Amino acid sequence: MNLRRRTGRRLAVTVVAVFALLAVFIVRLVDIQVVQAEALTKAAQARQEYTQTIYGARGEIVDTNGVVLAASVDRFDITASPQIAKADGYEFTRTAKNGDKQTINLQDSVQELADATGGDPQKMYQAIIGKPDADFAYLVKQVTLAQYQKVKALGIPWVYAALDPARSYPNGAVGANLIGAMGTDGPLAGIELAENSCLAGSNGAETYNSSANGVPIPGSTVTTKPAVDGGTIKLTIDKDLQWFAQQDVAQQVQATGAEWGTAMVVRISDGHIMAAADYGTGDPNDLEHATSGSFTSRIFTQPYEPGSVMKPATVAGLIQAGKITPSTPVDVPSRFTDGLPKGVTITDSFYHGDLHLTAAGVIMDSSNIGIAELTKLDTFQNRWQNLHDFGFGQKTAVGFYGELAGTLRNPTDSVTQITQQFGQGMTATSAQIAQLYQTLGNDGTRMPLTLVEGCTKADGTVVDTPSTQGTRVVSASTAQQVRSMMETVYQEGPSSKYLQIPGYNIAAKTGTAQVADPATGKYAKGQYIVSVAGLVPADKPQYAVVLTLAKPKGVTSSVAAAPGWKALTEQVIKAYRVPASTGAPSLPPVTW
Amino acid sequence: MSLATATDPRRHPASAPEPRRHLEIAPSRAQRRARPRLKYVLVTMGGIGVILLAQLLLSIWIADGAYQVHSLQSEQTQLQRTQRALGEQLDQLGSPQSIAQSAEQLGMVQSGNPAYLDLKTGAVTGTPSAGDTGLIAGTGDLVPNSLVASGGVQLDQTASTDTGANAGNTASGGASSTTASSPDDSVIASPTTH
Repeated sequence: MNLRRRTGRRLAVTVVAVFALLAVFIVRLVDIQVVQAEALTKAAQARQEYTQTIYGARGEIVDTNGVVLAASVDRFDITASPQIAKADGYEFTRTAKNGDKQTINLQDSVQELADATGGDPQKMYQAIIGKPDADFAYLVKQVTLAQYQKVKALGIPWVYAALDPARSYPNGAVGANLIGAMGTDGPLAGIELAENSCLAGSNGAETYNSSANGVPIPGSTVTTKPAVDGGTIKLTIDKDLQWFAQQDVAQQVQATGAEWGTAMVVRISDGHIMAAADYGTGDPNDLEHATSGSFTSRIFTQPYEPGSVMKPATVAGLIQAGKITPSTPVDVPSRFTDGLPKGVTITDSFYHGDLHLTAAGVIMDSSNIGIAELTKLDTFQNRWQNLHDFGFGQKTAVGFYGELAGTLRNPTDSVTQITQQFGQGMTATSAQIAQLYQTLGNDGTRMPLTLVEGCTKADGTVVDTPSTQGTRVVSASTAQQVRSMMETVYQEGPSSKYLQIPGYNIAAKTGTAQVADPATGKYAKGQYIVSVAGLVPADKPQYAVVLTLAKPKGVTSSVAAAPGWKALTEQVIKAYRVPASTGAPSLPPVTW
Repeated sequence: MSLATATDPRRHPASAPEPRRHLEIAPSRAQRRARPRLKYVLVTMGGIGVILLAQLLLSIWIADGAYQVHSLQSEQTQLQRTQRALGEQLDQLGSPQSIAQSAEQLGMVQSGNPAYLDLKTGAVTGTPSAGDTGLIAGTGDLVPNSLVASGGVQLDQTASTDTGANAGNTASGGASSTTASSPDDSVIASPTTH
């Protein structure tokens, strides 16, 4: 009896104890598995799981032949853990190949790092000593792979590296006026900025669980966000011709003491810009030395009064309207005052008595009076419309970042109504002038001026392809007649001998435009914007070449622009194998 | 079922207790056949053992593979980086500035007036003329490229030293050139007069 009771009590105590223990376990289990589950899982993941950035590379910018103009390149940031360096007593032991052990102190370490990367040893030393308990400090940013490998070979235990992609422009300033540049915080100008939505990639991330020595545990890698590479922008320009044009413009600007200069080569069949050079373009690899004009293109953004290079547009309109032919006789007096306010006269750049020029002769001698006489043949509205149809006063199809349309006003004063027809009292960009010659070369059909051939996305789809829809401005016959008039400029005109490329018939037009002085509101004395525009070859034009220099010193006529134009045109002929002309051109009469 | 067939005729419930003899139910053929045999136990245990062992080996193999994958992946990354770095260098070498500089170091000049030889007729179209000067000879390269100027990309040094040595030899009437670096066959030595 007594024994049985004792046994029963012992049993009860045991059972209660077991259940109590079980209850404690269950409470703890629920606490861990349910109540604290989230926090604990997170803490665990933070210890086991590593997140890694997968870089989505910014797309390349390539030229028409696919040559890289701008690309993302691997650069590495060299970092250190001062904490670990401190724990190691700021030194480490290196075992040489022959087994010798050598203790390297901090000063020697940073000196070795500096030698490998070109960084500043003093700064590195400060970065490590300055915050001895930090776990992270930048030593030197943006080193190349070769430098990074040298750093790695040093074997300094507290030095690390992280990938930090950068933008590189292997051709330096070639095309930088169009491409723009990438700053530290994003695109600064040009195509880099305008086409950022195509070029920009987006970084992704992946997580993995890692073993003690950093090897990902199989099957644990999870891509939390896929990286998307940016698209590739293909430009129409040809990097070699672009370089030549930039070199050419720079040489001419410096030789003539000009203020600025532009050069353009446009493929006539489709309006593709093969080269568009500005003077003063900077190197996008070297932003420290950049100026405000380094990465922008005057060609699109700075309209000016173009002068006589506009005259072919005017005569094209008159021929198209059936008012004249190249051989129409024009009586060119020594001065033009008809219908102008008192005291205003239109003169030519050279003094002459009464001349008997044909319309072709007016173009050859670039006579303002002759053009003024011809304007009498058609209404102002028609003449204005003609210039408008050639694309003046409107932005080109390029849509360049910051592009301006120039001004083609609808003036009421009789002076501007006439001067507009020879490129004064109106403004145009170099791009619009090139477009005019493209239209004349392309038998009167204006093709949309094109700088970007398209954006090829990472998945291979091509978007942003430009329009190939041409606009007929004048008839093929009109364009052909205007070209024959322009051939007289090249063959017999006053600056003919400066333009000659033996073996080639070329249709050309020169311009010497007066420059308005904003301070006085009048044309400045002795300051001209000079240009030469040409179509090569004249019989079946393939390329339009336009070179413009602003305010050259010494020679201030269009002759100043001739050597540069000639060099560039020769280069176009060589680069694109333009066949030589066979036979002499049939030129319209220039006098009567 | 088996009990029904195992009836002992000598056993009576009323019989007095007597020393029991050890009796055994004789198994029927079906029973004998149904009895588990040691063989099966061994096979099963062995099977489990083999499976466990296979699994162990498989995980060892996978773990080993993970290390191999990891090392191959890092090797791939290294090679890709090297490829990109070389591509970057190639792009820089291919830049017009670099090419113009190298060409003119070799004494090349810009060609003259363009002309063409028609292979069919043998006729020359255009008016050829001799080349004159280099493109960047007089004025220098006016299209800056810090990647080329910084000396990161330079013409093979053996080319210029080789040319220099040859020029020196000619001038000094064929002095010994034992210290000159061996000429690189792939580089065409530039003429000293042009």
